[in-house]
Formats: sequence, C-alpha cells, structure tokens
Amino acid sequence: MIITLILVSVALLALGFLIRLAKGRALPAQVLENPGEHMRAVDLEAFRNLVDRDEEEFLRTNLPASEFRRIQRERLRAAVEYVSCAAQNAGVLLRLADAGRRSADPATAEAAEKLVQNALRLRLYALQAIPKLYLGMALPGARISAVGIAERYEQMTRLVVLLGCLQYPTRGVSAAL
Amino acid sequence: MLFYYLWIAPHVLEGIVLYAMVRRGLHRQFPMFFLYISFEIAQCFCLLAVSRYVSYFGQVYIQVYAVGLAVSTAIRFAVIYELFCHFFRRYPAISGAGKLLFRGASLALLLIALGLAVSAPGNTPAASLNDATYVALRTTTFAADRAVSILQGGLLISLFLFSRYFVLSWRSPVFGIALGMGTFAIAEFATTALRLYVPISNKVFDRSAMAIYHLCVLIWILYVVRPEPELRFELKSLPTYDLEIWNQELERLL
Repeated sequence: MIITLILVSVALLALGFLIRLAKGRALPAQVLENPGEHMRAVDLEAFRNLVDRDEEEFLRTNLPASEFRRIQRERLRAAVEYVSCAAQNAGVLLRLADAGRRSADPATAEAAEKLVQNALRLRLYALQAIPKLYLGMALPGARISAVGIAERYEQMTRLVVLLGCLQYPTRGVSAAL
Repeated sequence: MLFYYLWIAPHVLEGIVLYAMVRRGLHRQFPMFFLYISFEIAQCFCLLAVSRYVSYFGQVYIQVYAVGLAVSTAIRFAVIYELFCHFFRRYPAISGAGKLLFRGASLALLLIALGLAVSAPGNTPAASLNDATYVALRTTTFAADRAVSILQGGLLISLFLFSRYFVLSWRSPVFGIALGMGTFAIAEFATTALRLYVPISNKVFDRSAMAIYHLCVLIWILYVVRPEPELRFELKSLPTYDLEIWNQELERLL
C-alpha cells in the first residue's frame, strides 16, 4: 500500500510538473514584448578578471593560503553570478533570434540562426561551467577554466549587433537597438 | 453506455487527427505518430470485434489486447524518438547534448522501471475468472505497461525540461504530440500502479484510463488541427546595459 501511495504521488507530481513545464512555454512571448526587462547587466571584463589564471596565480603567491581560499571562493561566487546572468541574457537573445530567423530577408535569417546557435552553445557551456565553478568554490586550490564563456558571450553580442543592422539597415545600429 | 463511449469515441476522434495530419502534410513529418494513431484505431475495432463475437472480455480478448499493447508500446517509443529527432534537428548546436540526454535518461529510467518491475506483486486476485494463466498474463501486461510508462513519461519530461532550460520554442504539433503522449504515459503509470497494488474493481481503472486517453486525443486534435500561431516580431529595443559593449563591438566591426 505504501509503494502504491508513493507511485501515485510520484505520478501526480510528474503530471503537475509536466503541466507546469507546458505552461512555461507562454513566457517567451512576454520576453519578445520587452526583452530589456528580462536581461541583466554583465561586466565582461570583470568576469574575465575573476576567472583569469594569471590573476589567480598572483593571488595564490601573494596571499596567505587561508586568505587566498576565502578570496578565491568570493571570486568564484561572483563568477557564478556572472555566468548565470550571461546565460539568462543568452536565453532572452535566443528568443529574439529564434523569432528573427523566420525573417523573409535571408541575411537577417542567417544572422539570427547564427545567434541562436551561439546562444545555445553559451547556455550549454554555462550548464557545464556552473558546477565547475561550484567545485572550485569547494576546492579553492583546484584549477578551473571558464574563460571560453567570456569569448562565447562576446561573439554572441557581436551577432546581436549584426542582426540589428540587418533588420534596420537604414537607421543604423543605435536606432535598431 | 459510458464504457462504450469512452472506448469508441477517442478512436473516432483519432480519425480527425489523421485527417488533419494528411491535410497539413504532417503525416510526412511525423510518420511514426501517424502510424501510432492508425494502429490505435485498428486495434480498437479489432478488440471491439473480439469482445463482441469471440470471447467477450475473456482470455482471447486479453491475449489480443496484450499483443496490441506490445505493438502500440513499440510504436510509442518510435514516436518519442521521432519527437526528439524532430526537435533537435532545428538546433544543431545542442543535438549532441540532446542525444546524450536521450541515452542517459533512457538508461536511468530503464533502471528505475526494472527496479519497480522486480518489486511488483507476482499475482493479483482474478476479479471475474479463476484462471491462473489469465491472471498471470494480465498482471505481466500491466507490470510491463507500467515500466514502459515510466520510460516514456520520463523521456518526455526530460525533453520538456531540456527545452525549458535552453528556452527552445516548440512548433505547435510537436508540442501537442509530446504533451498528449506525456500525459498519457504518466496517467497510465498511475493507473497501472494502482491496478497492481490496490484491489479495486478493474472497471474503475479501465474507465479512468479510457477517460485520460480521451483527454489526450482531444489535446492532439487541438494542436494538430489548429494552425501554427503567427509570430509577428520586430526588434525594437534591447537593454541599455549592453549598448556600451555593442557600440564598442560596432567600432571594432567598422
């Protein structure tokens, strides 16, 4: 009887979860209406600095071990926050670009397609990087690599500019944005 | 009367799904789902004929039902794989991760399903017939059905989770097929679990399972018949925080 109760509860929870996931599909439409509200500021240089190996080595050699571990944890906590923000922004841009790739203009559609693929890679990379950063927080001495995410983010923002230019060729990028 | 309505009506309504699929050319995009619906209709009328002219709901009926269920289950797996393939084809950047997800989730769910199958009770009291073969076949069928439901429901939930994380958009028919399949698998899991462990009349379970299937058919009709919603989108504004980076990048581009 207990097994039945557990199984039925699991089934009910799964059904509720499925409905919730299915309902969540409506959110992207709001994102398209006002993407700015859903995006968060990301200081790319600050993030690069946080995950910079030379910087880490510098701190390691110049600080007492306990102090280094404390600071390194703080740095990685901040890096996780940056990665989460970048992933969230990638999600918003992905929504925009996904809609943009249905454009009748082949150049716009192509740029949107590239942006979609880049944003997806960034989210995939974030999915791998965040546990790594947490691992780094647990073991502050361990070597982690998250510099690639900054490069991906930079590449993605470049594509967004290109997409804006293609959608508003006469107004210029500032107007498009 | 209710029993016959719940048995026949969903399969008649599935005719609408088939018609809409052919009309919209979806049968070429989702051949496995088309096959599944066709098979369900054929199976329904076959079982109806057996129950009417051969053995009512006796041993022959349950044998035909078990064979039909096995074929239907295999096609449902093919439908799920078809949904995965169709979904990830649009996003090559994560197709590798998608395949990994499909394999990993299948393996994990298979282990759970096997664990539950092993722990399932070996026998249940026969409600109408005192026939050991009949009871064993029935019990095995439901245990297997439950294991399959875990796999299928879990795979579809994984797909929904994956798409949620990657903010992927669903095309209307794919979403509808997945939602209907997922609801059916999860509900089937609950009813087969109850059937195996709770000694309540099978009529109650049969009717609830049929009602849920009816609901799933309505979901499929809704998403297959209605046209794809038009998305009119203009890139008007983007957040100010990124303008600085974009301007710098533009300077670099220029």
